[in-house]
Amino acid sequence: MKRMKKTWPFHVMLLPAVICLFLFSYLPMGGIIMAFQNYKPWLGLSGSEWVGLDNFRYLFERQDSMQVILNTLVIAVLKIVFNLLIPFGFAILLNEVRKTAVKGTIQTLVYLPHFLSWVILGGILIEMLAVDGFANRILGMFGVDPIFFLGDNNWFRFTVIISDVWKEFGYNTIVFLAALAGVNPTLYEAAEMDGASRFRQTLHITIPSMLPITVVVGTLALGNVLNAGFDQIFNLYNPLVYEKGDIIDTFVYRTAIINGEMGFGTAIGLFKSVISMILILVSYRMAYKWAGYRIF
Amino acid sequence: MKQRKKWMPVLASLVLAGSLTACSGGSEAEQPQTPSAEPKSENVYKEKYDPEVTISTVWGIDPTLQYKNGETIENNVATKWAKEKMGINIKTLWSITDTNGAFGTKLRLSMSSGQDMPDIVTLGNENNQLAQDLIDSGMFADAGALFDQYASDNWKKAMDLDPGVWNQYTRDGKRMGIPVLDYAYNHDYVLWIRQDWLDKLGMSAPKTMDDLEKVMDAFRNQNPSGLAPDKVTPLSIGFKTSMNTWMADPSWIFGAYGTLPQQWNEGADGSLEYGSVNPAMKEGLLKLKEWLEKGYIPKEAALWDENKTAEPAVAGTAGIIPGPYWMSGWPLSDTVKNDPDAVWKPIPIPVGPDGTAMRHGTHYTNGVTLINKDMEHPEAFFTYQNYLFDNYASAGPGSEFENGLFEGYDYQLDENGKMIPNDEIDGGFVNALRYLLVRDGARIPDAQMKALMKLADGAEPESRLEKEVAVNYGKDTPEAAKVLLSQEEISKKNLFTGPTTETMKSKWDYLTKIENQIMNEIIYGKQPVDAFDTFVQTWTAGGGEQITKEVNEWYQSVK
Repeated sequence: MKRMKKTWPFHVMLLPAVICLFLFSYLPMGGIIMAFQNYKPWLGLSGSEWVGLDNFRYLFERQDSMQVILNTLVIAVLKIVFNLLIPFGFAILLNEVRKTAVKGTIQTLVYLPHFLSWVILGGILIEMLAVDGFANRILGMFGVDPIFFLGDNNWFRFTVIISDVWKEFGYNTIVFLAALAGVNPTLYEAAEMDGASRFRQTLHITIPSMLPITVVVGTLALGNVLNAGFDQIFNLYNPLVYEKGDIIDTFVYRTAIINGEMGFGTAIGLFKSVISMILILVSYRMAYKWAGYRIF
Repeated sequence: MKQRKKWMPVLASLVLAGSLTACSGGSEAEQPQTPSAEPKSENVYKEKYDPEVTISTVWGIDPTLQYKNGETIENNVATKWAKEKMGINIKTLWSITDTNGAFGTKLRLSMSSGQDMPDIVTLGNENNQLAQDLIDSGMFADAGALFDQYASDNWKKAMDLDPGVWNQYTRDGKRMGIPVLDYAYNHDYVLWIRQDWLDKLGMSAPKTMDDLEKVMDAFRNQNPSGLAPDKVTPLSIGFKTSMNTWMADPSWIFGAYGTLPQQWNEGADGSLEYGSVNPAMKEGLLKLKEWLEKGYIPKEAALWDENKTAEPAVAGTAGIIPGPYWMSGWPLSDTVKNDPDAVWKPIPIPVGPDGTAMRHGTHYTNGVTLINKDMEHPEAFFTYQNYLFDNYASAGPGSEFENGLFEGYDYQLDENGKMIPNDEIDGGFVNALRYLLVRDGARIPDAQMKALMKLADGAEPESRLEKEVAVNYGKDTPEAAKVLLSQEEISKKNLFTGPTTETMKSKWDYLTKIENQIMNEIIYGKQPVDAFDTFVQTWTAGGGEQITKEVNEWYQSVK
């Protein structure tokens, strides 16, 4: 109580933020009940017909639902894994570059694609990956037959994942570089005194000191395990690759937005959120148990 | 420390006060209009209202719309005109620049949050789902009854050209919205072909599918511009979004064998059938597969949308592109920049082995106007529209609108009284039509074609529409219109225009998905053509049969 007397102005200053959080993050959660209704905007939440779990039943009754969920998981998990491993390795390599100017330039260059929208990149990729496009001409020099990257079920996921990693790895690289900058230099000095090679230093000092941040980045990324990237897929997919490329979000787009089935859309959204939350909780537990790391 | 504490409560209360006012800002409700105490006289319809009446509306502003003379959508030459001429005040509840469907979203949100609905709202076809929802919300009046009572003869005559235009807005026999009429045949196809290539090869325009194949083969393998075979796109089509759209789709190829995909056609017994499950699809699919293998159509047709198909046409590497009659204006007029010799000519749709040809037809409507059931003076809206239908739509020489809507906005005359091209207007062209309550003002469906036909026969432009077409459309447009009308009977409209049926809501997306998938896979040779039969079975069992039943129930009800 005594402490409160001193600190109440701080609490008051916090109030607007709390109110906003409540207004914009918690209050709209009331809309979740749409998932259990045949929602009609003009009838509102109170007037719409209750349909119980019908919307969820639709989701599992569709013959392609399992395929769509599987596609989402495969694409999202592979993206998460590669978006961790590649920046991890790249940051270590980049950290060995001694010239700051070179390092800075490379860092900026790999970060740049992050700012491009998928609408633009989609157009560029469709050109570059065309059967007579840039990528296939390069492959042609090595005697490879043209590959229909965006229209072949065997190649579509590969194309999606590689292009996403190419676009996003610069972002995580920066996070990892920051972690590397924080490694205590005395550790390296001591290792050098003991006669450890650069490779040994990396193996026994750099990698262990990067583990905590890797766990954080990885755990946070797990929240996206059912987000396979709507903008990207939507701009690149076509009926030829529905089998391997149709994901939950494009499916929601077609049913909820195009056909105006709000209740169904909310049900899928809720389903996604529940799965994501379970995964975050599990991974958080695991991170705590094995890496001894707490985020919250 | 002590000093700091002094200002802390002050700051805190300031922050708090600020956030409170911010919160209260949005809650100011629109004042409800007080209903007028005036008793309604027998004939409420007037040419001019005194005292003035008010029509409230909302605007989705075309992003390309320009303003001049300091005007806005709320207050401009058209609102002044309505006030002075007819004593009608146009009141704007809100307006929004309509990019990425912002207008539809805002209207949907204002409907869900129970805000005041405007007296009059016009929605384009792109917002059809919303229009249907608004009709079902019960907030709008039986517009058909009002139309019968107040609309002028000219307007009624235009509406009668196709009685089917009311269908999709009809509920239990009540016409709940007034269709916005559009020019007929706007998206019906002709084939655009490189006449200069034909001439160099000494070939004539293809009349049948077989001729077409010979021409495409020659375009590809003995290209008159000297292009290598794999650089030529003999026939530029794409089907990323649909097999049936407004430019460069393959629907007419199926049409040559007797069906049009992705629309509802009348079958032999007079009931509606879904075109994509007609057995004739197989032959079309085989043709497309063959053409893909031979390189007649783009290798990546499955990835190409409408705009992409225009690229090779404009680049001068495509030989044929299917599309509407107005394409010589856009995009084909740009081809000469890349290939100075390029000459595009419109030709009729080639016929199949048994002489059949079909193409999708355009409905005479491109949207709907809804009238609020609480609107005080619905007759005023008809005063406004009647005036436009009577004086603007078919304005001949000597009429108030003989050159256009408002001088200095959408037209200008030079010193000899001749109309000058739009891009030379002082201070810039402004599409003042967008200032009107109904977005294209007033269009009589067959008027544009009539005007074009007249010009095609070499007549001098006289009426407003003829002048507009002559000055601003591509020079081949009248000829293309003539080609189009030479095959008038082959245009088949999608005959199902009703609201989404019950089974469609839960099953349609899945059915469309497997349909698109199987067609693309057959064309690309990933599935044998017999997979089509399996698809038809799956389609029928997976809800297609039920949907066909519901569609036909609807069709019977409006027939």
